[in-house]
Amino acid sequence: MFSETTTIIFQIAPSIYFASVVMAILVVPFGNTKGIISFNGDFVFFAYVLALGKFFSIISALDTGSSFEGMGASREALYSMFAEPAFFILMGSFALLTGHTSFVEIFSSLEFGTYITFTLGALATYVFVMIAMIENSRMPIDDPKTHLELTMVHEVMILDNSGFDLGLILSASYLKFAMYGALIANFFIGAIPLYFSIPLFLGIQFLFAVVVGVLESFMARFRMSHNPQFIFTLSSVTLLIFFGVLLVLKRFI
Amino acid sequence: MINVLLIVLLISLLYLSIANRLLTYIKILAFQGVILFGVALIELSEINTVNLVLILLETIIVKAILVPLFIKYIIKRNNMTREMEPFIPNFVSLIIVTTIIVITILLSNSITDTHLEKISFIVALSTLFTGLFIIGTRKKIITHVMGYMVIENGVFILSLAVGNEMPLLVNLGIMLDIFASVLILGVFVNKIGDVLKDVDVDQLRNLKD
Repeated sequence: MFSETTTIIFQIAPSIYFASVVMAILVVPFGNTKGIISFNGDFVFFAYVLALGKFFSIISALDTGSSFEGMGASREALYSMFAEPAFFILMGSFALLTGHTSFVEIFSSLEFGTYITFTLGALATYVFVMIAMIENSRMPIDDPKTHLELTMVHEVMILDNSGFDLGLILSASYLKFAMYGALIANFFIGAIPLYFSIPLFLGIQFLFAVVVGVLESFMARFRMSHNPQFIFTLSSVTLLIFFGVLLVLKRFI
Repeated sequence: MINVLLIVLLISLLYLSIANRLLTYIKILAFQGVILFGVALIELSEINTVNLVLILLETIIVKAILVPLFIKYIIKRNNMTREMEPFIPNFVSLIIVTTIIVITILLSNSITDTHLEKISFIVALSTLFTGLFIIGTRKKIITHVMGYMVIENGVFILSLAVGNEMPLLVNLGIMLDIFASVLILGVFVNKIGDVLKDVDVDQLRNLKD
């Protein structure tokens, strides 16, 4: 019952997208405990498996042959391209700060002693919250409630999916939110014993949900030409974080 | 703690380069004034108390409240449109401001004077060059004034860095601030709005022979 213009790609893309999000979740640790999959350099694996899911959703949008979806796919690719250096420079700076390259080792040896490391943690939280809003196509980058195709970015890519496929894509979006919330919470859990870290984790996730709700309710979407500038500002902020890390290590400045 | 405030000042420079509306510029200028108040409060702890109270009052009142209100009044009175009109796209100016900050960091790293305080020097120089860049790449005359305010903020940071040894230098920085506000903005309110109907820099070319 699929359309005549689509090929096998359109039929398997939602499943691959959902599977990529689940595989990315398997890498996220919890304080001292490592994730189900954990190895050296797994934050690169994390970013690229999410990129694989996004790639498949982009080519499935191009597969439908509708021009609106192609336009939305190109915008989505542009925003992801600008948000990627932000994530890599951020995780790279923290890997440089702690000397390890695996998620669980980075988070368990991160401690906020001086003022500077606390600022770096706060800036990293801000960057992560904005990356979560960008990757999930929420305000102020993209309006999920708009009904005008010329103003959609992510919604127009999934316009032709329905039924179980649409359910998979929407569930993947919810899971991605929970995943980014878990990553943000990991910054603050560190090496605290378990009976403190579980309520703290739930508290931070709840706070993240409140912040997302407030951002969603009170901000309008930016002008389309203004979006790439805003996203690239995040990369510049992470560049500042990188120089701050070099300052803490006394290696450069 | 000072390093934290100065890093936040650098980030406000990045947002200054992509701002689209005049009111956003004014809000960022007011925010920078509040940050400078915090830096002055923490940094200048060894000078005369009366002098310190004067500097703090000046920073919070003139930089953060009076000058933004004054500029807003001018914008309303001259019926300027809300948009900033840059000569180059905002994206390019964001990249150029990032390059300015990176080059300033590399420059200050190759100066090996032990008496130099690195972070204040970096932030002051970046703010100065960014203010100069803003003056050079925007069309409206009022943004020239706001770029000059950003340059003054940079000079103020530099004077705060040595303010404990030379409190007179900080007072000179404040005098520069008040001088700029009174003279330039006063000229603006009275003269330019009446004589030049357009507030576009290209129209100034008509003044040449």
